[in-house]
Amino acid sequence: MIRLLERPIVHFALAAATALVLPLVLRSGTLASEILIYGLAAAACNLLLGYTGLLSFGQGIFFGLGSYAAGLLLLRAGWPVLAMLPAVALVGAATAAAVGWLSIRRQGVYFVMLTLAFSQLFYFLAYTLSDLTGGDNGLLNVPRPALGGQPLSNPWTYYAFVAVLFLGLFAALQRVALSTFGRTLLAIRDNEARASAIGFPVRTFKVAAFAISGAVTALAGALHAMLIGVAPLSNIEYHTSETLLIMTIIGGAGNLFASVLGAAFYLVAGDLLSAIWPRWLLLLGALLVAIALFMQRGLWGLIERAAALVAREPDPNAASADATLPEESRP
Amino acid sequence: MLDRRSFLTTSSLALASLASPALLRGARAADADLVVGAPLPMSGAFAANGKFAALGAAFAAEEAGTVLGRKVVARDLDTEGKPATAARRVQEAMSEGTRLFAGGILSSEALVMGKEVTNGGGVFFTTAGADEITGKECNRGTFRWSVPTHGAIAQTVRPLIEQMPKAKRWYTITPQYVFGEGLLGAAKAVFQEKGVEHVGNSYHSLAEKEFSGYLTNAIAAKPDVLLILSFGAQSSDTLRQAVSFGLKKRMTVVLAWASGLEQFEALGPDLCEGVYFGAQYWHGVDTPLNKALVAKVRETRKFSPNYSFAGSYLLTKLLLDGAAKAGSTDGPAVAKALEGLTYAGLTGEEEIRAADHQVIKNYYLLKGKPKAQMADKDDFVDIVSSGKSFLSPEAAGCKMA
Amino acid sequence: MTYLFQILNGIGLGMLYFLLAVGLSIIFGLLQFVNFAHGAFYMLGAYLAYTMVERGLSFWLALPLAFLAVGALAALTEAVLLRRIYAQAHTFHILATVGLALAVQEIVIIVWGPIGANLAPPDSLSGVVILGDFIYPEYRLFVIALTALLAGGLWWLLEGTRLGAIVRAGSEAPETMALLGYDTRRINTAVFGLGAGLAGLAGALAAPIRGVDPFMSVEALSVAFVVVVVGGMGSYAGALAAGLAVGIAQSLMATLWPEGARLMIYLGMAAVIVTMPRGLFGRA
Repeated sequence: MIRLLERPIVHFALAAATALVLPLVLRSGTLASEILIYGLAAAACNLLLGYTGLLSFGQGIFFGLGSYAAGLLLLRAGWPVLAMLPAVALVGAATAAAVGWLSIRRQGVYFVMLTLAFSQLFYFLAYTLSDLTGGDNGLLNVPRPALGGQPLSNPWTYYAFVAVLFLGLFAALQRVALSTFGRTLLAIRDNEARASAIGFPVRTFKVAAFAISGAVTALAGALHAMLIGVAPLSNIEYHTSETLLIMTIIGGAGNLFASVLGAAFYLVAGDLLSAIWPRWLLLLGALLVAIALFMQRGLWGLIERAAALVAREPDPNAASADATLPEESRP
Repeated sequence: MLDRRSFLTTSSLALASLASPALLRGARAADADLVVGAPLPMSGAFAANGKFAALGAAFAAEEAGTVLGRKVVARDLDTEGKPATAARRVQEAMSEGTRLFAGGILSSEALVMGKEVTNGGGVFFTTAGADEITGKECNRGTFRWSVPTHGAIAQTVRPLIEQMPKAKRWYTITPQYVFGEGLLGAAKAVFQEKGVEHVGNSYHSLAEKEFSGYLTNAIAAKPDVLLILSFGAQSSDTLRQAVSFGLKKRMTVVLAWASGLEQFEALGPDLCEGVYFGAQYWHGVDTPLNKALVAKVRETRKFSPNYSFAGSYLLTKLLLDGAAKAGSTDGPAVAKALEGLTYAGLTGEEEIRAADHQVIKNYYLLKGKPKAQMADKDDFVDIVSSGKSFLSPEAAGCKMA
Repeated sequence: MTYLFQILNGIGLGMLYFLLAVGLSIIFGLLQFVNFAHGAFYMLGAYLAYTMVERGLSFWLALPLAFLAVGALAALTEAVLLRRIYAQAHTFHILATVGLALAVQEIVIIVWGPIGANLAPPDSLSGVVILGDFIYPEYRLFVIALTALLAGGLWWLLEGTRLGAIVRAGSEAPETMALLGYDTRRINTAVFGLGAGLAGLAGALAAPIRGVDPFMSVEALSVAFVVVVVGGMGSYAGALAAGLAVGIAQSLMATLWPEGARLMIYLGMAAVIVTMPRGLFGRA
């Protein structure tokens, strides 16, 4: 049972099941699409956090940039969706590579602070270049053009489009994580000095991880702008970075599906609670403290524990609670 | 420790809770109810406005009781102050059949929601500040009650220039974004027309909290009047710090776009005394509808209605009146019923201009009074003057599709 | 001439930033703990001072009480919650304190309401000092004087007393300290309480300048981080120098390029991190 939960194919099956189950349990196609979009961005965040040991407060940069690039290409340049998507991925990858290249010069808290500074910088740019971005009002009127004659205006039709991309990109991220490249990232995460001594170009690997993560995050941002018909300034704010990190950590940094789980939990809980009690962020705050104290492997860790109970196997968390994040990510 | 059976129970509970969004949604309002969506920032930095606006919408729904033979329900939709969440909330509400929406306090939210609601065949009525709502971005399904920047400046700066012919030097403090530029542009036009010298302007960013540097600039320019064009908490911060620098004693201080009672409560009477405020609404306005509202709210809710409450109340009421007149909640029909409507509103006679969906209403110039002269705890200001100033729909840039 | 005044004004701002940030810096130096809830303690200090003055207490009593109350609350939080995660990676420090800050923000809204409030400076300091064309509020002058005194006192506490020696040794060689029989856990709690209490005091002092509102913590936190990173984490002198530098830069930018004030501050921080990884005064 536990073994089963470790297998990537099972993670992919769970992701596919999520995409299939959401329409059955949710009334809102918009919420369902948002879950997959944020799930994708959180999985990309996890590639940095869980696999490379990089806690980046800069993911919102790529998400927001993806929204703007998608909006501008669709609206101003009139590109078709299928041409826009690769272009957005390229913009995301290039920006992330640049931000990553500068940020990885420092480690631990200083790395975190550098990504924070970049996040402020890009926010400022978006705010100032209001001819391009619409400034505080956001880039309005982002269209949702038909795809090969099939209009995407219905929420569930758009959801189907998002779901196909989600599964494709999820599989691609998994391939990256499982490849020699991904295993090297894990080696760097666990012991950077050793990986470097063996002769791995540690920096190049980290920059590449940034680029891949940035490309996927930007695509998620593009899908988000098409979903809500606007590329809002809030997508590039520090707050978006923080939300993506929180989703990733709630899910658990151990595998990519856990991030999807984290995003789904965050959005569904927020949707339910905010309708009942406007002060629901208090509960979210308490949950974050609880996760830091008791559930460092996040929701996925809970599932593993539950599975261990069912299978009467030893609790996997007991042995590896500290293995989620490396010693190295401290200064 | 859990055994296998209790684990199974737990997991089936977990499954049930996963399915509950759909269940909860269905249970909240009976299908027969007439739901008015109130998309408002209930959490986040603008929660204070959202809270009162939600109360206002609920008050209007309660007062209306039954419309088109259906029980009226106002449902808050928490936008969290974020356009993305706002767009999602109205999309969701529309997929559940809601067509009438009153809310959207922040400009960025309101612009997005106006488009979403219109595309979905609904009507959206807002009090947000951005001129684009009934200007460049106007559309068939979006209406706005609040006076645009042009009118706000005309009704604050003009009467003051006339009242104080000796005050020839004006200094402005402006937030640097579209809304601030709108106010500043309008003010500069009035200055030029009236032959008043604009001795300087300080721009500040949307995130600024510390205004002492700008005040130092202002003092150095030796103005007769300090015109603060910031909005919300930033205008409060600017005013608070201006008073601490003793500016109230050296010059006239004007806050062109104040939020009214909620802002005066946060500032307190001492800071407000002697300061001029421009406002969309004041509970002391002497009109039949407003007097009735204030009396009823004070009696049942034990507070005086502020701008968020009153604005949201009126928007909801107008939507319901429109639906009653149209005989349906269908968006285009309600919009048609509202276009050109003249009614006895909170600020006197108000008219919904058909060409751009802007409500033609009064804007007020208020002046803070000394604490000793306040009749009750909410009696912060006297009304100095009021009036209507609007650009034509063409000049505002509205081309209705 | 305006520039000179802007620099003077910047010193006023900077001293407050120092007081806000120095606690964060000390906590990091001793505990290697990244505290994203530091701004929440600042906010609590401001709200407590506001409530005490509203209830008729003298502002002069409210200041030390805000310091003590916030310090005690923080020490309690440390002993009950935070101490358990010191051994974890920084990710969990950040997660727990982000959660704590969020919870405090919502509790403040529940207790005090979502609308902010104003706290008038004490009557004896409500006037202004006029120097030619320059006007400066007396209260701000008082804040400069008081924070300068506090800075001196803190310097003496950290550099000149036995407690300071223990704290510094504790941050450099905790195991040795434990072997020597010092109860490092109690020292940790005390230092955490002191650092957070200073933030609370900064909040109480800032309340008459900027009022109180439930979102003041976020703004304070970002300023504190910039000051601590630029000055060097754990460095007292660094916090002072960087606090002043940030205050002066912010004030000067109001004349030079107001829209870019925040940008310059963050660019400055990025430049310092890249070129001087330990900050201006950080110990290597």
